[in-house]
Amino acid sequence: MIHIVYMSRAVRPLSDQDLQELLMQCRRDNAAHNVTGVLFYSHGNIAQLIEGEKEVLEPLFETISRDGRHSNVIKLVDKPITVRSFSDWSMAFHPLEPSGFEALQGFLLPHHLPPPPSSLSIADSLLVDLVKLAVFGAEEVPAGLGALDA
Amino acid sequence: MPAGVATLQGAELRYGFVNEAMQAVLGPAVREGDAVAEHPGAIPTDLLEVMRQVYDADRPFVAKAYCLPLPTTADEKPAPRYFDIALEPVHEGDGPVSGLLLFAVDVTVQEEARQRAHHLSIETRRLDTRLRVLTETVPQITFTVDADSRFEYVSPQWYYFTGQPPTADLNAIWPLLIHPDDRLRVLYQSDTARASGVGWSYEYRLRRHDGQYRWMLSRALPELHAPDQAVFWHGALTEVHDQRELADALRRGEAELRFLADSIPELIWTATAEGFIDYYNHYTGEYSGLTKEELGPTGWINLLEPSEQAGAARRWVQSIATGLPYEGLFRMRRHDGRYRWHIIRARQLTDERGPRWFGTCTDVDDQYRLREVLQTQYDELARTNRDLDTFVYTASHDLKQPVLNLRGLFDELRRSASFDDPEEGEIVGMLDEALLQLDITLQDLAATVQEQRGLSAPVEALDLRSVADEVLLGLRAQVQEAEATVSLDFEAAPTLTYGRANLRSILHNLFSNALKFADPARPLHLTVRSSLTDAGQPVLTVQDNGMGMELPGRPAPVFQPFARQHPHIAGAGVGMYLVQRIVASRGGHLQVSSTVGEGTTFTIHWFES
Ligand SMILES: Cc1cc2nc3c(=O)[nH]c(=O)nc-3n(C[C@H](O)[C@H](O)[C@H](O)COP(=O)(O)O)c2cc1C
Repeated sequence: MIHIVYMSRAVRPLSDQDLQELLMQCRRDNAAHNVTGVLFYSHGNIAQLIEGEKEVLEPLFETISRDGRHSNVIKLVDKPITVRSFSDWSMAFHPLEPSGFEALQGFLLPHHLPPPPSSLSIADSLLVDLVKLAVFGAEEVPAGLGALDA
Repeated sequence: MPAGVATLQGAELRYGFVNEAMQAVLGPAVREGDAVAEHPGAIPTDLLEVMRQVYDADRPFVAKAYCLPLPTTADEKPAPRYFDIALEPVHEGDGPVSGLLLFAVDVTVQEEARQRAHHLSIETRRLDTRLRVLTETVPQITFTVDADSRFEYVSPQWYYFTGQPPTADLNAIWPLLIHPDDRLRVLYQSDTARASGVGWSYEYRLRRHDGQYRWMLSRALPELHAPDQAVFWHGALTEVHDQRELADALRRGEAELRFLADSIPELIWTATAEGFIDYYNHYTGEYSGLTKEELGPTGWINLLEPSEQAGAARRWVQSIATGLPYEGLFRMRRHDGRYRWHIIRARQLTDERGPRWFGTCTDVDDQYRLREVLQTQYDELARTNRDLDTFVYTASHDLKQPVLNLRGLFDELRRSASFDDPEEGEIVGMLDEALLQLDITLQDLAATVQEQRGLSAPVEALDLRSVADEVLLGLRAQVQEAEATVSLDFEAAPTLTYGRANLRSILHNLFSNALKFADPARPLHLTVRSSLTDAGQPVLTVQDNGMGMELPGRPAPVFQPFARQHPHIAGAGVGMYLVQRIVASRGGHLQVSSTVGEGTTFTIHWFES
């Protein structure tokens, strides 16, 4: 198993509808291919962690990085892992109209994001906290974060 | 449209035959037999005048593109129409002029086209002038070169720049003005571009009028006359010398900085605005034994001592979030697995390229260890010093009574004994003197130490916990070394009215004793508890799980000065004696119970003898 973390910029801002469609499609396809992880989105900033089998993730990352909805895809980590840190695939973002989203499977408001799981190494937790900070900014991510506090 | 034809008869010029086309031109009002002067229709007066003159002079006349404002409906402006008009005199046999033949051919379309062409040519001339002014005033040198590499045009700037006379042979001279190191490349590049019919963009040095070579950017585009068939290249030469020098300087500066960073035996790195390390200097690889890829954007955290990683990571995230400098003292793993103390520092630089982080890790291991050793030695010295003072104080105190006894005995002896020898009397005097001296010395000693140490300082209500914390802080090195856990429980009696320096001295001796005699087989556990007896008197117990000791039957020999229970362990051996003395001097007493291999418990009854 490997995990990959990347950051990118949306080519144009994604609407609630765009995000919801992406969420549904990815949840369906990722569940089918045993891919887990999390995606952060805010104001055109995107970061994603995906974990799964190398044979699945490498072509998936290829597909994602060629997706015309975003550009400037920068891969930060791509390395073997022994255990998964996420039980399914989810997305965290601020919908313009939050009421419909709360009930949606796999959706999280950024400030409800749990701290990086302790199964991640400290270096990887640090990486996840830094991309979260880069996507959501300092207001959304209180200093003194998550697993690093433990 | 067919030509209009009409005959005009007699000197009055009366309309004879008028064909349809002519009728359309003249208008419906004109009839056969009307005189032109009376019913001119569309015929303007100047044409009428010319008709009369042609009639009189008997000479034909042709007017090209003559404008006839044709009658239209009432509210429309008459549209100008153009006709080629021919007037031909008519003779009856050989007789005089009897009339005129009038031809009118509509040439409006041709005339309009001609006028448009005229306007266009004026506009073209205007644009030409503008282009010339522009090409000759812009700072660039503009040029046109043909497929055989012959210059068709070059703007006057070329002559100003090169200082060549206007008569100079461009094609011969231009290549000679290119810097020898660039010449071949330029000739080759422009040749290739011309051969494949494409434009070019390259830089080279061109000799200026003052002999200096300046960097120029040459750009040109082909003018295609048929697809793939370029005939001319039009281009411009821009001086880019200063930009290029600056860029060169920047490149050089960056390369030099990198070289510098790579030569320093210190860990140096830079990070992006998001906090991901994007450069580690050469030494970082050497120190850690890891490559840039192995370290990765956050892998530096793995180099830290595991217990310090989470805190260091948290602080890095805080620095990235706030932009505040990062600084910390951490142990970092070297390639051989040894940890060495480093100060990690990073600061944010914000310029037009956005924020970036620059960091260093400075090895302070030697200094750090030296400081630790010095601190331990210092603490040890301070303690010994304090103990010695207290010892001197108590000893001088304890010696007072025997001196007093001695003096009493001596006075008794002097009274009862008689001395025959006057020298003996002198000796008695000297003895007396010596005794007095001893007494004063003891008093001085006690007073001096009292002064210095505040041992006789007045009692005050003391918070046991804060004094105990203070003492433990002084012993932290030993606590760490023994991996001791200390539990303090002062709840039952949190304050004690006592001399501060005395309390400190007692706690110090009890604690350090326990630390010193810890059982190496297990981590030390030290329990300190204060309580009240049934009679309401304060008591302090200090219990450890150390080596324990053999307690002799005789009362309290542990407290004899220099009595050493464990001769293999360092210490002045006066500690417990002091505790005993201080406690006793305040009207209290000290109890001890101990089991070898299990531990020792000291109980201080502060005010109960
Ligand atoms: C930011 C972003 C993240 C994406 N993440 C995933 C993902 O985790 N899993 C997935 O199957 N598709 C993901 N996609 C969508 C893929 O790029 C692609 O559109 C989708 O897999 C459909 O591919 P297909 O047309 O080849 O079936 C993502 C797209 C974007 C823009």
